[in-house]
Amino acid sequence: MAKLENQVEHAGDVRQDSTVKKAVNAILPFVSIIILVLIWFIASGYNSRILPSPVAVIQRIGKLLVTPLSGSTLFGHAGISLLRVFISLFFALLLGIPMGILIGWNRTFSATVGTIFELIRPIPSLAWIPLIIVWFGIGELPKIIMVFMAALMPVVVNSYTAIKLLPPLYLDVGRMFNASTDGELLRNVVLPASLPTIFAGVRNATSVGWMVVLAAEMLAAKSGLGFLINRGMESFDVPLIMTGMVLIGVVGALLALATNLIERRLCPWNRGIVSE
Amino acid sequence: MEQGNRVRVSINNLSKTFYSNAGEAINVVNGISFDVYNNEFLVILGPGRCGKTILLNMITGLQKPDSGEVSIDGRVVTGVAPEMGMVFQKLGLMPWLTIMENVEFGPKMRGVSKKERREKAAHFLDLVGLTGFENHYPYQLSGGMKQRVGIARAYANDAQILVMDEPFGQLDAQTRYNMQMEIVSIAEKERRTIIFVTNNIEEAIKVGDRIILFTKCPAQVKEIYPILMPKPRDEISREFLNIRSEISDNTDLAL
Amino acid sequence: MGIDTQNTAKFVKQRRKDNSWYAFLSVATVLVFLLLWELLAIIGVFPPNKVPAPTDVFRALVFKMTNTGPDGATLQVNILASLQVSLSGLLLATLIGVPLGLLMGWYRSFDRMIRPLFEILRPIPPVAWIPLAILWIGVGLQAKAAIIFLSAFVPCVINSYTGIRQTNPTLINVAKTFGAKDFYIFLHVGVPSAVPMIFAGVRVALANAWGTLVAAEMVAASAGLGYMINMARQFNRIDVIVLGMACIGTLGFLFTWLFGLLERKIVKGRTV
Repeated sequence: MAKLENQVEHAGDVRQDSTVKKAVNAILPFVSIIILVLIWFIASGYNSRILPSPVAVIQRIGKLLVTPLSGSTLFGHAGISLLRVFISLFFALLLGIPMGILIGWNRTFSATVGTIFELIRPIPSLAWIPLIIVWFGIGELPKIIMVFMAALMPVVVNSYTAIKLLPPLYLDVGRMFNASTDGELLRNVVLPASLPTIFAGVRNATSVGWMVVLAAEMLAAKSGLGFLINRGMESFDVPLIMTGMVLIGVVGALLALATNLIERRLCPWNRGIVSE
Repeated sequence: MEQGNRVRVSINNLSKTFYSNAGEAINVVNGISFDVYNNEFLVILGPGRCGKTILLNMITGLQKPDSGEVSIDGRVVTGVAPEMGMVFQKLGLMPWLTIMENVEFGPKMRGVSKKERREKAAHFLDLVGLTGFENHYPYQLSGGMKQRVGIARAYANDAQILVMDEPFGQLDAQTRYNMQMEIVSIAEKERRTIIFVTNNIEEAIKVGDRIILFTKCPAQVKEIYPILMPKPRDEISREFLNIRSEISDNTDLAL
Repeated sequence: MGIDTQNTAKFVKQRRKDNSWYAFLSVATVLVFLLLWELLAIIGVFPPNKVPAPTDVFRALVFKMTNTGPDGATLQVNILASLQVSLSGLLLATLIGVPLGLLMGWYRSFDRMIRPLFEILRPIPPVAWIPLAILWIGVGLQAKAAIIFLSAFVPCVINSYTGIRQTNPTLINVAKTFGAKDFYIFLHVGVPSAVPMIFAGVRVALANAWGTLVAAEMVAASAGLGYMINMARQFNRIDVIVLGMACIGTLGFLFTWLFGLLERKIVKGRTV
C-alpha cells in the first residue's frame, strides 16, 4: 500500500511518542510474526501429516534448492513459471495497448471491436481454462494462451480508460504548439500522458497473470510452481505443497516490487498519486 | 497605443452557440468585433464564465466560430495560425517533459534542429528568470514558476501574437502581484502583440495599453479604454485610481 | 441576436443521429459476430467437436434447465450453488476485511502489528491455497468459501485502509475542536469518508470472488457453474462448457451492474 502525499498521520499519534512507546512500536511487527510461527509449531505438533512443522518446510525448501524434482530445482521451476508469464505478458501488451488506445480514440472502433471486447470481458480468466484445454490440450501453448487472455483484459481496459480520461487541455496545448495531425498528437501527447494509467494496467495484468499461470500449472503441467503444488497434493507431500506456496508468495511479492520500480523509472513525474 | 500603428489581428463578428443535451441553445459569444494593433498589450476585461475562453479559442484557432472570422495581417485564418501562441489558464505543461523539453515543444514539432531550439528555449527561460531549472519536472515547480514556463513556451514557439487566458488566475495573491510586474517587464524586453484576458480590474490597468471592457453574458464589447500611463504603473497613483473608478462604474458586475 | 431555433433543432437532430448510428453499429457488430460464428460452425470450419455453434449453446441452455446431465444438477441448481458460495465468501470477506482495513488505517500500532501478516498473505494467489484448503478443511462448501473469502478479503482491506487514510484532515480537526474523542472521530468522520473507497473495494472483491469461484468449484465441488464446466469437459460437452462460461459472464456482469447502481445510490454526492 503506497504512502499518500500530504496524508494525515493517524489521529492517534499527535502526541510525541515516549521512548517506551517507540520501542513497543518497533517490535510490534515482529510480535505478530512470532506468534504466528509459534502457533504453527504447536499446531504441527498435533498432526504433522497435514501440517508439517516450519522446520520440515525449511528443510524441504533447502532440499529442493539443490536436488531437482521432475527436471528442475526450486528456482528452476520458479523460473519456468515466470517465463510463461513474461511471454504471455509480452503478447498481451503487444496486442492490448494498441487495441485499447484505438478503442478509446476512435468511436467506430469502440462500437465494433470494443463491443466484442466488452462481451468477452465479463468472463473470468480462470473460466477460460477448460475451453482452452479442450482446444489446445495441455502443452505450453495453451498455458501461454490462458495467461495471455487473462493479462489482455486489464491492459486493454486501462489503455482505453487512459485515453478517455485524457484532459482535453493537453490536446489543445499540442495543437497550439504545432502537433497538428492525429499521428503527431498520439505520439507526443496522448501516449506519454496515458503512460501512468496504462502502466497501472500492466501491473494489474502481471498479478492476474501470475495467478492464472499457477492455476494452469496446477491443472496440467509438468513443471513450474503450480505443478509442484499439484505434485505435493498427489503424493501427499505436504512440505512440498508449502514449499511451492512459499515460493509463490515470494516471487509474487518480487514481481509487484519490480513493477513498482519500473514504474518509477518510466514515469518519474508521477508523484503524489496513489499506486493502488 | 499610437493610432498610427497597423492592425495586426482583426476579429470580425465572431459568434458561437452551444447546444445543451435538452436542445437548449446557449449563445456564448455573440457578434464580437475588435481590432488588435501591432505590438500592443491589449487587455480583455470581463466577468468570469462568459465565453471569454471560447472567444480566445476562436481567436487562436482551436475552435471554429459559428460565424464571423479572424484575420491576421489582413488574411483570414482558419485553424491554428503559426503566428499565434497561447498561455493557458490551467498551465497545460506536459508533466512528462522537463522544463526545457516543454519550452522547446513547439519548435520540436516544427522540425527545428536541436541546437537551434535549445538555444531559443534557453534564451526565453532566461527571459522569464528560470535559468537553472531546465531539467526539473513541472511537479517540482511552484504555480508562478509553472506559468512562467508557459510564457517562455509561447515565446519560444516564435509566436508574434500571444494570447493569454487569465494566466494568473490560479495563483495566490502575492505571486499574482509579482507576475503582473514580471509580464510587464517581459513584454517590454521582447515586444509582441499580446491579447490578455482577465477579470481583475487592477490587473487590467496594471498591464494593459488598451482595455476592452465586456458586458455580462452573452459577452459584447461595452467600451474600450486606452491607458496612457507609462509603465511600470503605480496602483495608488491618482491617475490609476481615476481610471479604476471609471471602469468600475461602467461594469455590469462588481469587478 | 436571437436563438436560431431551426439551427438548434438541426444540431440536436444531428447529435441524436450520431448517437443512434454508433448504437446501431454496436448491435450490428454483435449480430454479425454471432452470425459468422454460426455459419462457420455449420460449414465445419472448426475441428469437429471443438467449437459449438451459438444455436448449440442455446439448445444446451434449454436442455440444462430441465436436465441434470452430465454433471448431476440442472442449470438453476448449479447457479444457485455458485451464488451461495460466492455470496457467503464475499459477505464474510466484507464483514472481516472492511473493519480490519479501517482499523489498520486509523490505529498505527494495530497497523504495525497486523501488517506483516497481511503482506505475507497478500502475494499468494487464492488459487494456490486450494490444495491446502482441501487438505485441512476437506472438499465441500467450507473449503470453497474459504478460497472465495481469501480472494475477496484483500481488496476489501486495502481499499478500506486507503479510504480512511485519505480522510480530510480539516474534518478531523473540526471534530477535535468540538472535543470529540479519537474513537468517536474514527466512527463518525473517518469511516463515512472512507465509504466511496470501501464500495470500490467491495466491487473489486465481488469480481475477484466470482472469478475465483470458478477455479474453486472446478477442483472441489459437487455442484456449481465451475463444476458444471469441468464435468462437461470430461464428457466432451463443449456446448455445456460454453453455456457455463456464458452464464458466468452474464451473471458477473449483472452483479457488477447491480452493485454499480447500489454504489451510485449510496455514494452519490459524497465528495467531502
